[in-house]
Amino acid sequence: MAEFSSATTSRSWYHYLLLTACVLFGAVSVGFVGSIIQKSLPTWLHHSTTLIGGGGWQSPSGPFGGLAMIVGTLETSLIALVIAVVIGLGTAISIVFFIPRRLRNIVATFVELLAAVPSIVYGLWGFLVLAPFMYSTIDPWLNSWPFAREIWGDPSQQYGPSLFLAAIVLGVMILPTFVAISREVISVVPDDLIEASLSLGATRWQVIRKVVLPTARIGLFGATFLALARATGETVAVALIAGGVAKVQWHMLNPGTSIASWIATEFGEAQGNEVSALMALGVLLMLLSFSLSLVSRWLVSRQRKLLARV
Amino acid sequence: MSEAQVTKSPTVVVRDPGHTAMQLHDVAVSFNGRVAVRDATFDVAKNRVTSLIGPSGSGKTTLLRALNRLHDLTPGAKVSGRIVLEGTDIYRGDMTVTELRTRVGMVFQRPNPFPTMSIYDNVVSGLRFNGIKKKSLLDEAAETSLRSAALWDSVESRLKVAASNLSGGEQQRLCIARALAMDPEVLLMDEPTSALDPIATLKIEELMTTLKERVTIVIVTHNMQQAARISDDCAFLLMGEDRAGELIEFDTTEKIFNNPNDSRTLDYTLGRFG
Ligand SMILES: Nc1ncnc2c1ncn2[C@@H]1O[C@H](COP(=O)(O)OP(=O)(O)O)[C@@H](O)[C@H]1O
Ligand SMILES: [Mg+2]
Repeated sequence: MAEFSSATTSRSWYHYLLLTACVLFGAVSVGFVGSIIQKSLPTWLHHSTTLIGGGGWQSPSGPFGGLAMIVGTLETSLIALVIAVVIGLGTAISIVFFIPRRLRNIVATFVELLAAVPSIVYGLWGFLVLAPFMYSTIDPWLNSWPFAREIWGDPSQQYGPSLFLAAIVLGVMILPTFVAISREVISVVPDDLIEASLSLGATRWQVIRKVVLPTARIGLFGATFLALARATGETVAVALIAGGVAKVQWHMLNPGTSIASWIATEFGEAQGNEVSALMALGVLLMLLSFSLSLVSRWLVSRQRKLLARV
Repeated sequence: MSEAQVTKSPTVVVRDPGHTAMQLHDVAVSFNGRVAVRDATFDVAKNRVTSLIGPSGSGKTTLLRALNRLHDLTPGAKVSGRIVLEGTDIYRGDMTVTELRTRVGMVFQRPNPFPTMSIYDNVVSGLRFNGIKKKSLLDEAAETSLRSAALWDSVESRLKVAASNLSGGEQQRLCIARALAMDPEVLLMDEPTSALDPIATLKIEELMTTLKERVTIVIVTHNMQQAARISDDCAFLLMGEDRAGELIEFDTTEKIFNNPNDSRTLDYTLGRFG
């Protein structure tokens, strides 16, 4: 104790070095967030209803409506999430319970590698491979459905890039992330819970449905939110394949856009009020990802508590 | 099987088959070719407590888990010899694994109630796995088994709370109730009190002596006094020279602790090693 207090009275050089690093970090963060908010202030003060409610975006004079981007972000991310969760949950369960042990690590590693692939590669694949295939093969089939016009939109407005294409590419992109995290979450369900249920005469399927998935549930929600956060923030891939049209779009085969990809394609030529409007979109995106990651952290910590027994 | 192995096989108390719940004939378990336990030949007598004792690593858990085929899940695990439950070979006979496990229940080393289920749901989980949905049946089974596990009075008013709200000892008794709800013939227990404090341990020990009237108990323990206090029969396992566990001696607990045939048994129960 005595030694400890003498060390604190004669503060050494590394103490100050660490303190400086910490202060620098604080300054950078405050400066970063502060300047974005400051630049976006004019929009929040004078055009906030247009930004949140308006559909059109007229450069360079305005108005600058963000609704098309907000809706596009939500549509593409949620469809992507459904694709990723449905396919991903099945994959994660199979990796943990059905794939032979030897193959398991190979598959798990492969999934993790896929999760680390930069998104531009997914975007490129979407643009060069998936888009032509969708346009020539899948879209005509979708357009032959009953009520196709109501769901997918007017075929004369379609030319390949679309919100649906963006959603599929996003889904493929966040799939490995979701599989990697949910595999982890599922595999830490304690063995003795699985053995206890088997010892009560449960079948393998019952063990998965009634014990493993419920026990892993909160962590799986966490994985879902992390995947959602990745989808909402995705920029390049969506910019390449969504079509880049600033129009609120409910027909999924028509072109649209998202917040992140709109910022990426517009900021180069923006001036004055448009800069402020783009910054305001940036603030919205930031709030969205803050809240998604806060929720997922909270879920992960709840999962830990659930498993920390006796 | 060579002559040498036959001659060193342990003394076995042979009983009237009507009084036998399970019979083990030359049971051995190996993992990826490495023998973990072997030479296990003895009868588990009905409505008695049989304890498996021996130093850590002598294969007690491994042998116990062979009795309800929990090794089926482990790739590379192989069980040889014969294990008979009421006349049926549990590995080769006309009995599904699911049926076996409803007849031979298991309580684990750490209390492991299902963390997302309430107390009630935990107790009836086995019945639900086996397709029983009728509420009156489930309610009745829940009450009966919680009473048998001496837990009813303290949880009656909070059956719907999460099982994690119970103390460690209560959780373990909940796990016992959960196993009892299946109305098993045999209950396997792997060091069920090793994670509990002395008072909770004592309660579970008391419980076992009353429970044996309705269910045959096989318990692994490394606590000598516990084996002496609660078991009627006792199997002593020890690691051989090749580090594989083997059955050294099986007899009544009385004989194992007071007048064993093998000097190694005496050394162990007197605490000279292990
Ligand atoms: N799943 C397994 N895979 C490989 N070896 C195992 C496995 N389970 C147990 N063993 C081995 O079996 C031996 C006996 O272990 P165990 O039955 O747990 O002993 P005890 O319960 O008497 O302490 C140990 O050497 C252990 O390494
Ligand atoms: Mg053990």
